[in-house]
Amino acid sequence: MNFSEVQVIGEDETFRGSKSRYVWLFGGIFIFLCFLAMHYSTSYLFLFFSNSGGIPYTLISYQMVLSIGPFMTMIASFDIVSSETETGSVRYILSKVHRSSFILGKFLFLLLVFTSISSGIALISLIYQYSGGNTFHFESIILFWISSSLYLGCFISIFLLISILSTNNKISFTMSVVFLGILIFFILQGNESYLKYITPFFYGIKNMEFMKGFPVEAGYLTVFESLFSMFLYILVFLSMSLIAIKRRDF
Amino acid sequence: MGQNGAGKTTTIKLLSGLSTPTQGQIFVDGMELSSESGKIKQILGLVPQDSGFYDERTALSHMVYYGRLKGLSKKESLEQSRVLLDQVGLGNEMFKKVGYFSHGMKTRLGIAQALLNSPKVLILDEPTNGLDPVGIRQIRQILRECNNNGITLFLSSHNLLEIQEICTYVGILDKGKLIAESTIEKIRHIESSGVITVGIYNLSSKIVHLIESLEFVVKTELKSKHIMEIFVNSNKDVKPEINRLIVESGGQVFKLMENSLSLEDAFFNALE
Repeated sequence: MNFSEVQVIGEDETFRGSKSRYVWLFGGIFIFLCFLAMHYSTSYLFLFFSNSGGIPYTLISYQMVLSIGPFMTMIASFDIVSSETETGSVRYILSKVHRSSFILGKFLFLLLVFTSISSGIALISLIYQYSGGNTFHFESIILFWISSSLYLGCFISIFLLISILSTNNKISFTMSVVFLGILIFFILQGNESYLKYITPFFYGIKNMEFMKGFPVEAGYLTVFESLFSMFLYILVFLSMSLIAIKRRDF
Repeated sequence: MGQNGAGKTTTIKLLSGLSTPTQGQIFVDGMELSSESGKIKQILGLVPQDSGFYDERTALSHMVYYGRLKGLSKKESLEQSRVLLDQVGLGNEMFKKVGYFSHGMKTRLGIAQALLNSPKVLILDEPTNGLDPVGIRQIRQILRECNNNGITLFLSSHNLLEIQEICTYVGILDKGKLIAESTIEKIRHIESSGVITVGIYNLSSKIVHLIESLEFVVKTELKSKHIMEIFVNSNKDVKPEINRLIVESGGQVFKLMENSLSLEDAFFNALE
């Protein structure tokens, strides 16, 4: 792996992404939905058990990320490698750079996009908290940003692996939808099932109560445990992606 | 060269790192591919069979991107891109989106991107496939220029005429195996050195038998009362020996000419 190669791949993706209307459209939709959820939060305030510190805007944002985020990452990531394989441009790239640089460049670009979206949502949440006169939970915002980025990073790494394994966009999209469906099915099995550990939902949900504000009973250890688990999850899938691309013929 | 499915594209993919060998080693310029792939990639330029460019990007944008992937700075990449696009005749099309390019233009762009950062070896997978005669001529011209500039060309093709015109050294692949390799001139002599046409005024069966008894003669064919074709299998010039034998047998030779085999004949002979 060569860092300058990763940088060039990432920069080019960013350049192309910034010109892609789909990135702006879906990123915009994501942020807009979060904005709507916060704006009309008073209509469903009864859903939140505790309302001691006013409307939990950060929690609402986090719930939006937890529920819509996986679909958004799927739309953005499913064709990140398969489109290059389908058109054949991957041959030009891989004849010049290491395969690991290619994958890391793509991953970091997607992570950057979704980290930026998370930042945007965090900012909206902050504005609402400020304008609503709520108790200011800066730690919650920071936790929201880190946790959302890692949570979405888990899905990016999953869909990146699927995209590497697919020969074209149709296969990649179908496999991504099926895999996401399986993950949702696993988490719906309940707390008793061991299948929940395979899904990023489980690690993401763990941080929900912290979004209302610190201190909480469970403490910082749970937060660290959850964030570290998501980080490991990303590492595992990224390693699988690297192995997969090294073994693939183009 | 080789038939469809002989393993030409696979060889090229292995050389350029797009496929991983299941066994064996690959050396490029004395470097082993699996351990020094980074260095090898710097000295190689690949022109794959199918031109896979982004339709929405311009030729110059592609070139700058690929140049940077080859380790050039943005400025260097831009400078080289302009020169190379001019060299392949796309100087006036550099700001045009590749989606509007013809197949020939895409092939030329493919060659231009492979020439970024001055590679030592240019690998081309059937570069003139699907091109019209004008396009073929343009590509050949570009390839000759590259070769004149000191770049080694490694190309696969099933177009024998093209190989005969561009290449100096040929390998014949069949079912994944290299069955013959040599210079173009020598490969024509691998299975048979050619056909010798002899004109003899008093051609007799005795002369025919004597010629057929020579160890390098594969067969003889009478074309007319005085003309005979002798199929020989030898790397040496056998005409003096044939001439001597005919004269010693009382024959009067008025014509003795060797018709060298075309690459196509040699190719089919090797496959047989």
